[in-house]
Amino acid sequence: MTHHVMGVDGSYPLLLVLWLLPLAGAILAWAFGPQLKTAAGWICSALVGISFICAVAMWGPGTQSVSGALGAHQALFSWLPGFDFGLLMDPLSLLWTLIITGVGFLIHLYSIGYMDGDRAFARFFAYMNFFVFAMLTLVLSDNFVGLLVGWGLVGLASYFLIGFWFFKPSAVAAARKAFVINVAGDVGIMFAIFMIVASVHSTAFGDAFAFAGSYNSGWLLAICVCLFIGAAAKSAQIPLHTWLPDAMEGPTPVSALIHAATMVTAGVYLVARCAPLWSQNHDAQMLVGTIGALTAIAGAILGCAQWDIKRILAYSTMSQIGYMIMGVGVGAYEGGVAHFFTHAFFKAQLFLGSGLIIHALNNEQDVRRMGGLMKKMPFAFIAMLTGVIAISGIPFLGAGFFSKDLVIQGALEHGHPYLYAVGIITAGITAYYMCRLLFVTFFGSYRGDVDPSELGIRHPELAGTPAHGADQAEAEHEGSGHGQAHHAPAWIMNVPVAILIVPTVLIGWLMFGGDNSPWAHFFAQQFPHPQLSPAPIGEGVTGLITFGAVLVGIAVAWWRYATASAQSRAVERLRGESIRMPGILTHAYYFDLALDLLFVRTSQLFGTIFGRFFDPQIIDGAVRESAFSAQWLGTLVRSFQTGLLRAYALLLVVGVAAFMIYYAVIAGGVHP
Amino acid sequence: MSQMMAVPVSYYVGLSAVIFFIGVAGVLVRRNPLIMLMSIELMFNAANLLFMAFARAWLHNAGHIFAFLVITVAAAEAAIGLAIVVTVFRSAKHVDVDDVALMKG
Amino acid sequence: MIAFWILAVIMLGSAIWCISASKPVYSVVALLLHFAALAAMYLTLNAEFLAVIQLIVYSGAILILFLFVIALLSSGVASFSVGPNRLPRIAIPAIVLIALALGFFTYAMGHAGAVVPAAQAGSPLGPVGTADVFGSVNDFGKALFTSYLLPFEITALLLMVAVIGVILLAGDHAPYVATRKHAAEVRREMREAILREGRQ
Repeated sequence: MTHHVMGVDGSYPLLLVLWLLPLAGAILAWAFGPQLKTAAGWICSALVGISFICAVAMWGPGTQSVSGALGAHQALFSWLPGFDFGLLMDPLSLLWTLIITGVGFLIHLYSIGYMDGDRAFARFFAYMNFFVFAMLTLVLSDNFVGLLVGWGLVGLASYFLIGFWFFKPSAVAAARKAFVINVAGDVGIMFAIFMIVASVHSTAFGDAFAFAGSYNSGWLLAICVCLFIGAAAKSAQIPLHTWLPDAMEGPTPVSALIHAATMVTAGVYLVARCAPLWSQNHDAQMLVGTIGALTAIAGAILGCAQWDIKRILAYSTMSQIGYMIMGVGVGAYEGGVAHFFTHAFFKAQLFLGSGLIIHALNNEQDVRRMGGLMKKMPFAFIAMLTGVIAISGIPFLGAGFFSKDLVIQGALEHGHPYLYAVGIITAGITAYYMCRLLFVTFFGSYRGDVDPSELGIRHPELAGTPAHGADQAEAEHEGSGHGQAHHAPAWIMNVPVAILIVPTVLIGWLMFGGDNSPWAHFFAQQFPHPQLSPAPIGEGVTGLITFGAVLVGIAVAWWRYATASAQSRAVERLRGESIRMPGILTHAYYFDLALDLLFVRTSQLFGTIFGRFFDPQIIDGAVRESAFSAQWLGTLVRSFQTGLLRAYALLLVVGVAAFMIYYAVIAGGVHP
Repeated sequence: MSQMMAVPVSYYVGLSAVIFFIGVAGVLVRRNPLIMLMSIELMFNAANLLFMAFARAWLHNAGHIFAFLVITVAAAEAAIGLAIVVTVFRSAKHVDVDDVALMKG
Repeated sequence: MIAFWILAVIMLGSAIWCISASKPVYSVVALLLHFAALAAMYLTLNAEFLAVIQLIVYSGAILILFLFVIALLSSGVASFSVGPNRLPRIAIPAIVLIALALGFFTYAMGHAGAVVPAAQAGSPLGPVGTADVFGSVNDFGKALFTSYLLPFEITALLLMVAVIGVILLAGDHAPYVATRKHAAEVRREMREAILREGRQ
């Protein structure tokens, strides 16, 4: 079988360098952390920065196109005959590489300030660099096995970083939950790889896609569904999303880098990478698009019911990834990937901005205990404001508008009017809860000194929000507390945020201009472009409808949280809202409960059955009985070994007699 | 002398069987290794008697050859057996095979 | 016929005496009588060479060997001492079974037709002691050194092995064969040795 290599084969040392530098940084920080102290942060950040420069330098080879081969391919080694490992950089992986290293570099810088004083400073950067390496492995691999390796490694890095403050039981539980759910997804991808190997006897993307048209349709659907199980677990799609809000237990830069900008979008990458497979199967596209839309709206609704600033952002992440998945699911790959691209900036911006607040307020995360921060922290306000504008999709002022529009319009163009409607409604809800976050946090007056019970916070020590310095981990991280608003964020934390403001506002213009936009040119050869009938509603009209929904969302948020009367009675209103919050929302649709009942309890039941009955009775019993019967048989046989010569003689003679009787009576009887 | 035997061959078979049985009983019942060895000799000779009788009945001297071989084997067996008896019971007060039970499992 | 009966009675009687004698020496005497009667019976069956061999080898060599051993062992001439009988209980039924089996066998043999292949007959039958007749030394020797040469040579090997074995067993460097009493001692010594090793 001829090998189908994607990309132009060649030697690209820069590709190797940008791939391996973060690994070197991780090993360095791991091995010499105590010696390097704060230098570890600078070294690791610099390495990721160099990686970013290399990635930019790879722009040319990454986008080259020679006789149908797109991008750059660097062969590494052969695992088995026909199973080669290599690195592939085409526009899709180039985009991801740029985001991982670029946004990753800014977040690394920010972490130097945020993690300052933590006793495991170097370990944090080792994990972060390890994550960058794993993520690069994922997106640069030219075959499914390498992808799965990276896939598992990012899950591991995520596990390390969520449980970074391992003395917090909640962090450990969250890390374990995230890891287990992600491994469930890994198993899905593994089965997909088995099926692909069974079909094309290769794990390389090139081979798998070259024969995409020759798969049996049911078989292809099974492959796509298995791949999507992995994508859904990594990208927090329903019903495997429950780990993402809990993952906010990790330090805020981690939430920004891993659980917003890069790792959780690996599912989007996978679907976009396997576009040739998805394009062949309409059912798979329908499934992925529907799940994406469901996740988008479900996450958005849950975002309205949260009080923890990071959990609000977590649900918004889930919702936005729902958009991306919907986009790549229906076949609007440019749209889905574009939303990933802009989301990486504005969500990192939002997380880093919220990190500024959290850091300044001595690790307060409950928005009810914030308020009026606009005057105290104008920079954080500007950062959050640009982020909110971008995510809400206000036309031309933020990046999110352009990409979200591409996704929503793409759903319609590919013949999914219901998903189109869901996308528009979700845009309105998104605007509502993001503005709610903004208004409650920055408007009105400061409520940090109000008694928590007045705000409807029933059990602050149990609510998962580290109020009152009860959180040992954060306290340790901070050293001794200095009272409220003590931390003027160091420039090191402000600079990355300031840099991120630029793309958050402007990057969306890349997508402006329909088929002639730079974005469309960049991906012109990457994705399949089927001939589509023109959509019944034009792109401009869609933008207007979306903007209408967004305006409604902002208006409702304004009316509820930002009017003068609402602000004057903010404490009672927040208390009332907290108390009246429907249980289905505070419990996130009871997904945790359902998963617990469906999987955890059943597993425990099986475990109990096997532990109490099957193992001791059947397995151990079989072993025990065979031991006993061997012993019994041994005793029986041993009893013949009397050691008495005459007893042996007796047995011998009995045998002889038996023979003689046989011959005399039976054989002899035949011939009388 | 005629070809026919004066005594039917079945008489010899009967006599031989009885002597063989006496030998077996001697091996099983007696505990003196010397007498056990002698009983084994009795069994050998019972077998030899049959060889002779049938050789005579069929006028074929293969029986004689076999009897000759049996005597040879018996001689070797007696020599080895007696050597073992001497080795084992050289210092014993009584000779009793039941005292030798090292192979008890 | 009369000779057969007389010899048969002597043989049976001496055999029973042999296994029931209280002293091994008496057994040897009974066995000597038995072998003599057997040699005579061989003569009546025209097997003159075997009769002679029977007397020379058995009576002359093997029985004398027995006598030597009896004399060698201090307890050989002592009357049979009765220790605990360790024979399993199935011994009596087994002996009955063997008797039954032999009875059946004998009955079957007696009623089996004498299937004599016609072409089997070798040398003619003549008076005992005449050359070139069935059972004579001449006849026997021819058969032994022509048709049955290989078994004869193997016999030589067997005897040599037996000789070497006897020298090994009963020689000065005889292997140590422990009796029950010795075995207990050996075991105790080994246990103590192991304990000593363990303490060190």
